[in-house]
Amino acid sequence: MPGIIGFYPFGEGRENWDASRFLYYGLTALQGRGEACTSIALLESESKKINIYKDNTHVEEFYKRLSENKVRGFIGIGQVSPNEDDGLIEVKEPIRLVLAGDGKPGYQGNRVEAFYKLAQRLSTLLTEREDPLDAATQIIKEAGIGFSFVALTEREEMICCRDPFGVKPLEVGAVGFDLGIVSSESAALDVVGAVHSGPIQAGECVVFDPLSIRRRNIPNSESRAYCAFEYVYLARVDSLLNDMPIYNVRERIGEILAEEKEAEGDVVIGIPETALPFALGYSNKTSIPVKLGFMRTGRHIRSALKPTQFERIMGVQLKLNPIKAAVDGKDIILIDDSVVRGNTLKNTVLNLRRKGAKRVHVRVGSPAIISHCPFGTEVPPIDELIGRALSEEEIAEIIGADSFAYLSIEGLLKAIGLPRDRLCLGCFTSEYPNKEVRK
Amino acid sequence: MKILGVGSGAREHAIAKKLSLSIYNPKIYWIGENKNPGIVRICMKSGGEFIQGSTTDPEVVSSTAKRFNVDFVFIGPEEPNFHAVPDHLERLKIPCIGANRSVALIEMSKAEMRRLQWEYDIPGKLLFQTFKSAEEAYLVLEKYADSLTWLQNVALKPARQAGGKGVKVVEDRQIYLHEEKQKFKSKHVSWLEGYMRGYGDIEDKILVEENVWGPEYTLQCFTDGTTVLGMPMVQDNKNAHEFDIGTETGGMGSISGPGMCLPFLTIREYEDSIRIIGKMVSAIQDKTGKRYHGVVAGQMMLTEVEGPTIIEMYSRLGDPEALNVLHTLKTDLVEVCLAIIDERLSKIRLEFEDKAVVVKAIAPKGYPDNRSLAIGHPVAVDEAKVSEIGCELFWASCNLHEDGRITTAGSRLVEILAEGETLPVASAQIEKAIPYVKLTDGWGLFHRSDIGSEALLKRREELAERVRRLYLYRVEKGTVGKRVDWLPGVGKVDPVSILKNGLRR
Ligand SMILES: Nc1ncnc2c1ncn2[C@@H]1O[C@H](COP(=O)(O)OP(=O)(O)OP(=O)(O)O)[C@@H](O)[C@H]1O
Ligand code: SF4
Ligand SMILES: [Mg+2]
Repeated sequence: MPGIIGFYPFGEGRENWDASRFLYYGLTALQGRGEACTSIALLESESKKINIYKDNTHVEEFYKRLSENKVRGFIGIGQVSPNEDDGLIEVKEPIRLVLAGDGKPGYQGNRVEAFYKLAQRLSTLLTEREDPLDAATQIIKEAGIGFSFVALTEREEMICCRDPFGVKPLEVGAVGFDLGIVSSESAALDVVGAVHSGPIQAGECVVFDPLSIRRRNIPNSESRAYCAFEYVYLARVDSLLNDMPIYNVRERIGEILAEEKEAEGDVVIGIPETALPFALGYSNKTSIPVKLGFMRTGRHIRSALKPTQFERIMGVQLKLNPIKAAVDGKDIILIDDSVVRGNTLKNTVLNLRRKGAKRVHVRVGSPAIISHCPFGTEVPPIDELIGRALSEEEIAEIIGADSFAYLSIEGLLKAIGLPRDRLCLGCFTSEYPNKEVRK
Repeated sequence: MKILGVGSGAREHAIAKKLSLSIYNPKIYWIGENKNPGIVRICMKSGGEFIQGSTTDPEVVSSTAKRFNVDFVFIGPEEPNFHAVPDHLERLKIPCIGANRSVALIEMSKAEMRRLQWEYDIPGKLLFQTFKSAEEAYLVLEKYADSLTWLQNVALKPARQAGGKGVKVVEDRQIYLHEEKQKFKSKHVSWLEGYMRGYGDIEDKILVEENVWGPEYTLQCFTDGTTVLGMPMVQDNKNAHEFDIGTETGGMGSISGPGMCLPFLTIREYEDSIRIIGKMVSAIQDKTGKRYHGVVAGQMMLTEVEGPTIIEMYSRLGDPEALNVLHTLKTDLVEVCLAIIDERLSKIRLEFEDKAVVVKAIAPKGYPDNRSLAIGHPVAVDEAKVSEIGCELFWASCNLHEDGRITTAGSRLVEILAEGETLPVASAQIEKAIPYVKLTDGWGLFHRSDIGSEALLKRREELAERVRRLYLYRVEKGTVGKRVDWLPGVGKVDPVSILKNGLRR
């Protein structure tokens, strides 16, 4: 689930652009997808060499350290990742290239290893095939499903591919007559002042070179398995995913939660940031007022995906301070985005009660996470997943809530507005899209 | 009947074809810099002749017209107009479809066009300022937040029509990217200064214009100086590459129909646009005392502040836009030309087939920024196959050699047209024909597959709707054309009266 971005200028004076500025703001916008490792690669205009910079830290800190070096380049790609040592991948031969990848292609090994194999294969194919578009098409055919990538070669090509099922996103935007920008999310395009042109399609490759942009879809690429977790959690609420505004999906989730398992309460409170639109939807549907329940301290850390338990508990306590005036003496419908291990929620419920909340009904804007993700999203080990082990009643008891309910799978499908066979729901159902089965 | 055409691009190929289909059964003569195989063929078939020669030299064109004793001349591109070719023909009493130099000023000088528009208070205006040097321009631009807001978000243009090149649109709204954008503006005004050194026929060098956003369209009209007859709206696509990315080109392809409006524009917007163009024709005639005979077109944009807004004027048909309208034109083109010459255009009714039409240009890599790379590549086109697929091919920038070989001439190589019930159908049709256009030396070609596609249309529709809402709200509030600004240390200012005062001085 890293965030990836590519920056490519065209026309008169294209060498004058400073790609690193744009990557900085773009990556900052993508930081919700991971902030344990930041890396960028810049192609320098005089030497035509690619320089790579990597650090196990978040974007701001990365750039602070970087500013000591004199980094330059007019074309560039970048990546933010939730895992340390998961930066841009470099292949030196036969053609030197650097790759930013989201998801995980169908090669052996972990995410980094699998993308390394893909990058190596791409480099080889680029020498074997005269047309880089042929090489990119071949990669899409060979590399299975579950990935998006942007690769930059020392021949000044930027190659962007999305797997045949479109599991992971990849969006394109433009600035004036000058810049093409590719990014995991459309929100990052907004932030760098680009106009969003739309998604790269499933099974599509787009090759930028100094004189053209060419694109091609692999034949019969009608199957889809868009990652459902993107809609409920990963993507920014101001992004468009596969032409669908995430905001609409999330508000609908709130409405559907209210329909599926209505609770009695005085106020609806969403846990910042992701669950806020759920709370709005729930409130719209029920006319129960929504209140601002928490104030955050420190940087926004996406808690479902932080590595260690200790950090998670620390994180949540430091992060979310309940606002007493909003909860004191009230029956509360508390909405969260997802539940992985339950610790976060347990603490939150306790904190609410200590600030005077009476009843606390917990609603979760996604179905229970019960299984791993084969496409690179970090889900804790199966035996740590509370939703797999326990019923809703049991969870309520453990986290100390008066009731607890997930969004149903059907509710999720309704909110996204796509049929089951157009989505990957793997971590919610343990049934995965399969290239052989789905044709 | 004999007709001489001028110019050698795809637009001229389309004009030649349409003229040749007239019931007058004319002999088609043509003069152009490049030997366009399509035009050559039409000339031969009609019993006429293709002459390779300068289209901007009035002597050359008029002597050719005299030599063949033609009934009238039809001028395709703009440069012959700027070089007074129509004026010269007029003096020799050779009728001509083509704007004379005086009235063609509305295209030749983007700066004069704007001044005229403000002077005659014609709707669809943009704030602008002209400069004689890069330094002068930069002094104003670098003030940034200390100057009027519109000067921070600008279109930087050569003040003269300069072959569809040199326009940069710079939105400088993200303060955190300001440094980058400022650097870019400064580099570009210097570039413009250098570029404009090649044109001595105009005093203003750099035009800085208010940046606007909205859907663009071209409205092409025939005029005899009194009557202005509109053709279907066409939308060209200026960015060189897919996804609306990349360099400004002469146009990578265009869409039109079904009907007179584009699917995302309204009949009211069409009518407002025609009125604006009509007023521009009257204004330039009033200003110069010269009659306008030929084609006039508005390259326009629907904007928030002004509604239908002129981006620039054409004194000729657009390329590729000409292909769209000539394809569906049912009225005899020669009949239209004769009516313009006799100034009885009000008696003509223009009729068009109710079809969606898509045109896509195919260009050699290197176009438009590195044309030297794009020149001289041998071309192989399977024209039979293209028409078998149901498409029509128009030759553009290429050269037909004595031995029958065809090579690229640096700009768009061919333009392929298809019609259909809907635009996406026509667009998909063209995609099938693309593989039959090739370069035999392995050099690459490119085109935009997305022109006319469902996805792109949807984006245009959304854009139009967003702008229309804002514009109509202004109509309701009576604030069309109104701009207000605040200058730190100065106070509330009205950019429009600042501009008007500047013009009066
Ligand atoms: N004021 C403006 N605000 C926003 N965009 C603009 C503005 N002026 C021009 N543009 C954009 O730049 C493009 C080219 O501008 P313009 O038509 O003035 O230049 P040109 O080089 O003469 O083009 P052409 O190829 O049509 O001859 C327009 O089609 C439009 O997309
Ligand atoms: S398993 Fe879950 S996280 Fe992974 S792609 Fe499928 S829906 Fe997305
Ligand atoms: Mg133009």
